[in-house]
Amino acid sequence: MTATTPSTATPFVRKDNASQRRLADAVATGLLWTAALGIVLLLAVFIGYLLYLGAHVISWHFLTAPPSEISAGGGIGPEIFNSFYILVLTLIFTVPVATAAGIYLQEYARPGLFNSTVQFCAESLATIPSIVMGLFGLIVFVQVLHWHFTALGGALALTLLNLPALMRVTQEGLASVPQALREGSMALGATKWQTIRRVVLPGSIAPLTTGIILIAGRIIGETAVLIYTAGVSVSPGRSAFNWNPFHPAETLSVHLWYTHSEGLVPDAVDIGNGSALVLLLIVLVFNISARILGRGLSRHFTGK
Amino acid sequence: MLSTEPVTTPVRATKLEVKDLNVFYGEFQAIKDASMDVPENRVTALIGPSGCGKSTFIRALNRMHDLSPGVTVKGHVRLDGQDIYGKDVDPVTIRHRIGMVFQRPNPFPKTIYENVVYGPKIHGLSDRRKLAEVCERGLRRAALWDEVKDRLNESALDLSGGQQQRLCIARVLAVEPEVILMDEPASALDPIATSKIEDLIGELKRDYTVVIVTHSMQQAARISDFTSFFLLGDLIEIGTTSEVFTKPKDKRTEDYITGRYG
Ligand SMILES: Nc1ncnc2c1ncn2[C@@H]1O[C@H](COP(=O)(O)OP(=O)(O)OP(=O)(O)O)[C@@H](O)[C@H]1O
Ligand SMILES: [Mg+2]
Repeated sequence: MTATTPSTATPFVRKDNASQRRLADAVATGLLWTAALGIVLLLAVFIGYLLYLGAHVISWHFLTAPPSEISAGGGIGPEIFNSFYILVLTLIFTVPVATAAGIYLQEYARPGLFNSTVQFCAESLATIPSIVMGLFGLIVFVQVLHWHFTALGGALALTLLNLPALMRVTQEGLASVPQALREGSMALGATKWQTIRRVVLPGSIAPLTTGIILIAGRIIGETAVLIYTAGVSVSPGRSAFNWNPFHPAETLSVHLWYTHSEGLVPDAVDIGNGSALVLLLIVLVFNISARILGRGLSRHFTGK
Repeated sequence: MLSTEPVTTPVRATKLEVKDLNVFYGEFQAIKDASMDVPENRVTALIGPSGCGKSTFIRALNRMHDLSPGVTVKGHVRLDGQDIYGKDVDPVTIRHRIGMVFQRPNPFPKTIYENVVYGPKIHGLSDRRKLAEVCERGLRRAALWDEVKDRLNESALDLSGGQQQRLCIARVLAVEPEVILMDEPASALDPIATSKIEDLIGELKRDYTVVIVTHSMQQAARISDFTSFFLLGDLIEIGTTSEVFTKPKDKRTEDYITGRYG
């Protein structure tokens, strides 16, 4: 190696070389810092612009009233409720299945045909576009099962869409726990399950929670898959809180798309901007709480 | 047991009997036909150059290789005469009886207290007062009690490396194993922490059978009663520590002891 590249063999000799390297270091640092600053600025501008467009729309009435079909002055109360309702339903379906599958693949399955088949299927599932999954939901839940547009159908389609990601999050969380801790537990006569339950899961609770909340933020913003499954309407004449999973349940993000592209109300632009702002704030809250919670949990579970 | 034994014989009961042990990583054979007897209430040291298979060998003694796919173990390891690789043997109960301390301290990311009572809890002890007793006894025997008794509810990760390793020993002692395996337990520690661990091992052999891997021949000479020498997967020689160090039977052992190997 040294024979073929004599210039690298004497790296500490020439002075100008050192100053060159210092310059390169400064340039690299500057570039990276600028890129990072750029991202921050981009987000700030984006939020600022949405605030400018949508802040004046937001009122107690707007946040709680039902939407209006024809006249101005509709609200987004049921949509906000539906967004959270479908999210909770989706998480109830997704989290147990994804966690179980992730634990199985990461902790139990030996490398082999079955393991790689499951991984391949999960990866394929993950690449299915949201709109295609929506069409699938339309055929299965709306048409074949005759549910029509329902919160449940939307949640199930979202479950299919997000299972792979959550499974991956679980696997990565579990993989972040050092093998030495598993061995330490097993060497005390613990069973595999005891080891997973008492060492591996607590050790990965922070990445798991963070991952789940981040995915929840994504689910809240899902649109295409819900247009065909949960529908673009809320049950008229009812209160904002409709707990029946077999009723249509337009979410906030669907409402945003619908008023902008199909809406007949004269204040459609305002409603759209207001909805966008609320949606953005919700997603931001999810992301921030994911960080805070993740940090708090890891401190709690490591006894620090 | 001690009282029934004639005082004159130096021979102890055999706690672990290893017979024709072979370990493979895939196709690669890391241990070749190793056989040895590990006497009860004694410290047996495993020495040899890096990569000769000491860790591989010691991990076969409590079926730790079961956890890694692609590792095959052939041969017999008998604990009090019972083959731990036998058909109906549950490796979990074997590891309960044969504990292990690892090269790098690996405390759980829990409090000091939770670390020590982890094993007893897993084996069904739930009475708080008893757990507290077990915790204190374990920490005392691991010579750590005085240093941590006021901070049992702090994270074990805040301890120094040497303290963490003694905590890991306390954690093993708390499950009352019969045999304690240690794979270079002091190699990540400074001289003071090392000598504390060495003193501790001297204490432990009163109640336990200890097998220890060490890359330091001085350490083997200081703490062990028996020494076995490994080279390239072969168990070359085993004998009392003084024999192996002063008049080794095999030329290769002598070369290693006198420093003619790397
Ligand atoms: N997981 C593994 N897969 C494949 N080969 C391995 C594995 N672990 C160890 N080996 C090989 O087996 C041989 C014995 O390794 P082992 O770790 O038992 O040596 P050692 O005596 O403990 O060495 P050291 O003193 O460096 O810890 C080495 O040649 C090593 O490369
Ligand atoms: Mg080793």
